[in-house]
Amino acid sequence: MWKYALIALLGIYSSNAVLQTDANTLVLLDNLAIRETHSIFFKSLQDRGFKLTYKLADDSSLLLSRYGEYLYKNVIIFAPSVEEFGGDISVERLAKFVDDGGNVLVAGSEKSGDALREFASECGFELDEENAAVIDHLNYDVSDAGEHTTILTSAKNLIQADTIVGKENSKADSAPLVYRGTGLIADKENPLVLKLLTAESSAYSYNPQSSVTDYPHAVGRGTLLIAALQARNNARVVFSGSLLFFSDESFTTAVQYAQSGVFHKLSGNRVVAESISQWVFGETGRLRVASVQHHKEGELLPPGEAYTITDPVIYTIAIEELVAGKWQAYKASDIQLEFVRIDPFVRTFLKQTKTGSYEARFEIPDVYGVYQFKVDYNRVGYTHLYSTTQVSVRPLEHTQYERFIPSAFPYYTSAFSMMIGVFIFSFVFLHFKDEPLGKPLREDKKSQ
Amino acid sequence: MNRTPKMINSKVAGYSSLITFSILLIAWLAGFSSRLFAVIRFESIIHEFDPWFNYRATAYMVQHGWYKFLNWFDERAWYPLGRIVGGTVYPGLMITSGGIHYLLHVLNIPVHIRDICVFLAPVFSGLTSISTYLLTKELWSSGAGLFAASFIAIVPGYISRSVAGSYDNEGIAIFALQFTYFLWVRSVKTGSVFWSAGAAISYFYMVSAWGGYVFIINLIPLHVFVLLIMGRYSPRLLTSYSTFYILGLLFSMQIPFVGFQPIRTSEHMAALGVFVLLMAVATLRHLQSVLSRHEFRKLFFVGALLVGVTVFVAVVLLTMFGVVAPWSGRFYSLWDTGYAKIHIPIIASVSEHQPTTWFSFFFDLHILVCAFPVGVWYCIKQINDERVFVVLYAISAVYFAGVMVRLMLTLTPVVCMLAGVAFSGLLDVFLQEDSSKRMGSAMNAVTETDDQEDSIERKTLYDKAGKLKHRTKPDSPQDNGISSNLKSIVILAVLMLLMMFAVHCTWVTSNAYSSPSIVLAFHNSQDGSRNILDDFREAYYWLSQNTADDARIMSWWDYGYQIAGMANRTTLVDNNTWNNSHIALVGKAMSSTEEKSYEIMTSLDVDYVLVIFGGVIGYSGDDINKFLWMVRIAEGEHPKDIKESDYFTDRGEFRVDAEGAPALLNCLMYKLSYYRFGELKLDYRGPSGYDRTRNAVIGNKDFDLTYLEEAYTTEHWLVRIYRVKKPFEFNRPSLKGTQRLLPPTNFISRKNSKRRKGYIRNRPVVVKGKRTLK
Repeated sequence: MWKYALIALLGIYSSNAVLQTDANTLVLLDNLAIRETHSIFFKSLQDRGFKLTYKLADDSSLLLSRYGEYLYKNVIIFAPSVEEFGGDISVERLAKFVDDGGNVLVAGSEKSGDALREFASECGFELDEENAAVIDHLNYDVSDAGEHTTILTSAKNLIQADTIVGKENSKADSAPLVYRGTGLIADKENPLVLKLLTAESSAYSYNPQSSVTDYPHAVGRGTLLIAALQARNNARVVFSGSLLFFSDESFTTAVQYAQSGVFHKLSGNRVVAESISQWVFGETGRLRVASVQHHKEGELLPPGEAYTITDPVIYTIAIEELVAGKWQAYKASDIQLEFVRIDPFVRTFLKQTKTGSYEARFEIPDVYGVYQFKVDYNRVGYTHLYSTTQVSVRPLEHTQYERFIPSAFPYYTSAFSMMIGVFIFSFVFLHFKDEPLGKPLREDKKSQ
Repeated sequence: MNRTPKMINSKVAGYSSLITFSILLIAWLAGFSSRLFAVIRFESIIHEFDPWFNYRATAYMVQHGWYKFLNWFDERAWYPLGRIVGGTVYPGLMITSGGIHYLLHVLNIPVHIRDICVFLAPVFSGLTSISTYLLTKELWSSGAGLFAASFIAIVPGYISRSVAGSYDNEGIAIFALQFTYFLWVRSVKTGSVFWSAGAAISYFYMVSAWGGYVFIINLIPLHVFVLLIMGRYSPRLLTSYSTFYILGLLFSMQIPFVGFQPIRTSEHMAALGVFVLLMAVATLRHLQSVLSRHEFRKLFFVGALLVGVTVFVAVVLLTMFGVVAPWSGRFYSLWDTGYAKIHIPIIASVSEHQPTTWFSFFFDLHILVCAFPVGVWYCIKQINDERVFVVLYAISAVYFAGVMVRLMLTLTPVVCMLAGVAFSGLLDVFLQEDSSKRMGSAMNAVTETDDQEDSIERKTLYDKAGKLKHRTKPDSPQDNGISSNLKSIVILAVLMLLMMFAVHCTWVTSNAYSSPSIVLAFHNSQDGSRNILDDFREAYYWLSQNTADDARIMSWWDYGYQIAGMANRTTLVDNNTWNNSHIALVGKAMSSTEEKSYEIMTSLDVDYVLVIFGGVIGYSGDDINKFLWMVRIAEGEHPKDIKESDYFTDRGEFRVDAEGAPALLNCLMYKLSYYRFGELKLDYRGPSGYDRTRNAVIGNKDFDLTYLEEAYTTEHWLVRIYRVKKPFEFNRPSLKGTQRLLPPTNFISRKNSKRRKGYIRNRPVVVKGKRTLK
């Protein structure tokens, strides 16, 4: 009995963190030792309700989907040196997995294998050459072995997005982050890539064993340490060049800049890694449209066929955010509504009402056609919110025009005066007898 | 004394009316049944393009009622602009068939509206032949009228627009045209307000039915004008024209689509000018009768000068201020045949707006085209008010028919009438055996009319013309003394000609004009069997069953009405070519590269693209053959992006094979037409990718589509439908191998069907049976 109670309790507890449908997670590892060296990270995931399945990356029994249904919603690849995935998984399958909405967290290292490289390029970034590591001769940790590859990067180099890296973590006075691994190169043309963490301006990425002969691929602030992709279907992929970043070692270590000697009791890795994992697996930064309503002012339902031009219209949209496993009303003041027919005819801010939904009131333009109410809300760290509702706007019906217009009054007058005139004329004509002239004429006719 | 002739009269009148009646009935039946080839060969189906819209609109009206139809805003056409159907349509056709439908249902005869639509034009052809009979009778004689009625019942030039299933405005408009002319001629003859009001009402029906009403409103003023010039002014003319013009003007403005055009556009200004002129002439006539000669001359000169200057200034000012619109493009192209090709490609792109070839005159009219000048000559020889009209009608119609194939339709009735006049004149001469009888009947007719002369004045007027002719005609040949042999030879020859005419008409109708063009039929050259290609309906049915209800389908405008009518889906452009820039946008999408056109297609929310491709079966009316028009129309609006010369080879050829222009080989239309066609081998010996329509092996065989995917291709590849991928399907712009800074290694997979294990580099391996060395 207590078992059930515990499961129920666990259920309640876990549902606070992650949606049950999103909980299944596959963890691919180089070797099972990583499970132990990164136990704090995995523990935090499990505490939040994720169901982790650990597998070796080359396991021949790996299976991502069965009968067309995905077994997992999330994949963690902590296997830097994998050259080829085992079983059912391949780079193409992983890309398909992302296209079908799955989230992936990948950590590489200086010696990343081909599989990771290929997958990275599928997502729009590249891992630097083999053996290349991020080197910073000014901002390295005291624990560094001499190659200056265990670097420290300040928390202010994190992306300015609270949902991804946490609210307090990206402040300048937060603890710096320990990093050891390769640099990433992002596709400049790809608008979907987010640079979650960059190195300090003194860093570069090169093979620490050899002397620098040609220009490094990544230099200074352009050295990307952690990159993310939020695909157009809102699937999220996070790539880190360093496996160490998520390890127990870096979570628990004290850090001290070797040059300046600034000391922090604890590195910032743990909080940042956890909030990144929350974001990548869809616990934070998720928006959805709960309902869309539109109707004419003073009415409750949308019109049966179409709006008429210059109708005053009320558009209401309810937007919800996932907070701690529950959908709650989302608060923002920068959501815009467009009323589009090829081009936007109306563009207005949505105002939040007391009930938490957003509302816009405007007058439909004096142009008929097929329009769309379009809410296109794209903010870093949030899912892309896109909602279109198509409505028709028709011209006036033949009964809706003005009956009497002032400029036509001369014509009305002329019409009515004509009617009166004809009436009077016919009245006079019929009842007027021309006595003196009439008689001789009649006689003339008779005689003819 | 009067009794015996009267009895004979009534007898003869009875016979002649019986003959008239039966001939008209037979003409009606013959006209009706010769229009049924399409129904018998195929099925009771709406044809071609425009009829599909008319049918859809009619069905809507029958279902929702007249007021809903009047206010119908069709959001499924011209996405996203929409179309106000009630205000942009000539509703006469829909009202006519809707009225018939209503009437039949009131009588508890449940007929589907589609059948009414299919058979409307054949039924109206009978009415046309009756009104042609009436008009010709007014102009010449009832014999000529019967000839004309029989001709128009079966002449291909008219059948081409009125076969069963060709549910178009012209089907009823020719009847309205002829009937209006009949009433007009009647009213000119009689000068009665009654007939001219009738003409105005008939004109109203014509306005409601067809844009060709402009022909009437220019021809009738022309008639009046020429009569004035010829010095044939009469109070009858004044009465009839002023009544007709004022009533007709008011009536025509009641049609929402016409609206204020009759007082604002140049096309209608001639009628107004003639009206003013007629009034001026009438005033002068009146003044002439009142004033002395000297005074009148003074007044005339001053007045004429003043009026001339004022009218000129007024017209110039009104045009400058834009109150009177200049001539529309279609009208310019009537005067200058090259105008449309240069300035308005959209008009020139329609095949029925091309100039007529001389061949088609014979094809459509056969012997009538030879007899027609004879009729004109007869009319000019014995000119009177109404024959002036028919001569003008003939001359203008010949001109217009020469300019546009489509206007062959307005030429056909007058050719039939004048050919009827010619043949009846011929038979008058050569059917002399019963000349005594004819004389008798003519005399009787004269006495009869003489009796009625007092009661109905207009009848005498009308019959006087006939009487004169009958008296003079038989007299002259009697003097010539043609031998009876010669007469019978001539008559036989004429009868032979007429028989050949009938045979030709039937042949042309059955072979050229009875194809629904939705269902194609072809004869197999090997075994002679008849095959049916039903690809169009197959594709439209697929669309209606497999796409979302609000799916938006892009195609060239020719197929807009059919998609809306048969598949009931939203279209971007259709055969109501009112918005040139929207069509140009579609043309631009079709003639750009896939990438560029994808931008246009997403901005227009296109879900599917439909192209017609005839390369497999050799169907010549496909989109590649129309493609240059798309380019031209697109170039008209987007001269920076699209250039027609890019689509030609250096030698100025339009070819789809390997030597074709690169812009052509990579444009969307080419790709959509020839997608996967390069793999197709049509026969064993020929090369793959051989286009039968253009007799060439296509130049760009091996390509993939990025932004679209093939959704459906019909059995004979005639219609190909592609789905436009949505932006979210390009989920993540991946880095291509060539774009990468670090070149990808050529990794070779070590997995196979048996060995499913992956590979991890530097994997720690447990080595058994060895002692660790210290």
